[in-house]
Amino acid sequence: MKAIETRKLTKKYKDKTAVNGIDLEVEEGELFALLGVNGAGKTTTVRMLTCLSEPTDGEGYVKGHSIKNEKSAVKRIVGISPQDTAVAGNLTVRENLEFMAKVYGFTGNRVKGRADEISEVFGLGEVENSRAKTLSGGWKRKLSIAMAIIGEPELLFLDEPTLGLDVLARRELWKSISGLKGKMTIVLTTHYMEEAEELADHIAIMINGNIEAYGTLHEIEEAAGKQGLENAFVEIAERSMGK
Amino acid sequence: MSRIIAFTTRNIKEMLRDPLSYIFCLGFPIVMLLVMTLVNSSIPPEANMTVFRIDNLCGGIAMFGLTFVMLFTALSVSKDRTCAFLVRMYATPMTSSDFSLGYLLPMLIISVVQMFITFTASFVISLMTGVSLSIPGILLSIVTLIPAAVFFTGIGLLFGTLFSDKAAPGLCSVVISLGSFLGCVFFDADSTGGIMLTVCKCLPFYYCTKAARSAAALDLSAENLLIPLLIVCVSAAVITALAIVVFNSRMKADLA
Ligand SMILES: Nc1ncnc2c1ncn2[C@@H]1O[C@H](COP(=O)(O)OP(=O)(O)OP(=O)(O)O)[C@@H](O)[C@H]1O
Ligand SMILES: [Mg+2]
Repeated sequence: MKAIETRKLTKKYKDKTAVNGIDLEVEEGELFALLGVNGAGKTTTVRMLTCLSEPTDGEGYVKGHSIKNEKSAVKRIVGISPQDTAVAGNLTVRENLEFMAKVYGFTGNRVKGRADEISEVFGLGEVENSRAKTLSGGWKRKLSIAMAIIGEPELLFLDEPTLGLDVLARRELWKSISGLKGKMTIVLTTHYMEEAEELADHIAIMINGNIEAYGTLHEIEEAAGKQGLENAFVEIAERSMGK
Repeated sequence: MSRIIAFTTRNIKEMLRDPLSYIFCLGFPIVMLLVMTLVNSSIPPEANMTVFRIDNLCGGIAMFGLTFVMLFTALSVSKDRTCAFLVRMYATPMTSSDFSLGYLLPMLIISVVQMFITFTASFVISLMTGVSLSIPGILLSIVTLIPAAVFFTGIGLLFGTLFSDKAAPGLCSVVISLGSFLGCVFFDADSTGGIMLTVCKCLPFYYCTKAARSAAALDLSAENLLIPLLIVCVSAAVITALAIVVFNSRMKADLA
């Protein structure tokens, strides 16, 4: 079974087609990057796959569960770190983690245990007692991702996880994300070429709501006839404009 | 249930760590009690005006305090809605009733705490001013005000769901003013009578205060306690049901 499969998945707003009948396949356990510029439809795709937005047309399956008809099954197995960092500002890092653990059904000692584990994975120990709203952008993002995986999701969605971070914080976060590879399937959206190059097993290039290229980095370079993801991306973007 | 408790705990913590909540929810009623008691002491006895006397005042101020809890409910719901936090929570196993109850419950707890503080302060003032205020009366008054607390947190949830964190406070202050005025916190419509009393009787605020005052005086008559209380209970049920329905439909719309 694929981790994700979509068939002609479509989202239309009044006069705008945000996602235009895309067919995606994400393999079990891989890190999949959805690469695209602002407004390409990345967030809309992620929202549909996490049951935060109803598809206008088409279907999507997350681990075989329909995103239209089996929402609660889907919600149980996905975790999402939204594009806008969403943490409870007046709670400490620790309290945020324990709160999320409880929401995902952990009880008693397991709450603390799970928060400890996750805190360890992301090295959140040193800021554990800080209020979330006082954290720097990098720490906030780490916390937000930590909150997304505390429920032990089979599938993790990271919507532009390194947006707005400085170069050091970005590298640091890449390390944390790499550390998660293999433990769960990860779908990451980004408009940073290096990020997709560095982290992804498979890349899909999204332009104006369409998937214009799909494959490993090598396959995409080959299809575009260009070296480097950035060159390949520009080539593919120009071709799709020409169409 | 554990999700509701988790969300309730989070909401209480968020509120307890906001200094404004102490000023408005806890400090304000006490300040009002003190100011009005001072006012009362300068009213000559022959004026025969007892609305500011602590035994009458406490029920009204307690009800007035609840309107600030309403403001805070509206603020915390609308703030969560404007930031991405609620959207993230939508992607978890939280259901819409988990959300509604998780917002209402903490505010009810805060309401009860606030009432205890208001009435404790009132009791101290009653001892100092030599006005009789009985402990059973106080306890009964707090119980009587619980439906009022439900009513006001319900309005808070409703406003917080419908309006932005910019618009909600303004609308709440309209209700706060209406509540204090038409709730007869600072004057006695029963003795004024006339059109004023008629208007007061059209809205639930008047009945909240009336029931609370009667309870504090251990006046258990149907006319003064039971009927007003019933009206408050019905209003609370209607508003809360409405708030929950509106929250559900808003959540559905957000996820469309
Ligand atoms: N609720 C909405 N109503 C109307 N149009 C919308 C809505 N949400 C998104 N869109 C439009 O759909 C298109 C795709 O938006 P989306 O947020 O999915 O892009 P994105 O790839 O995530 O971009 P970004 O890098 O800016 O986050 C955009 O043109 C956007 O304006
Ligand atoms: Mg986006």
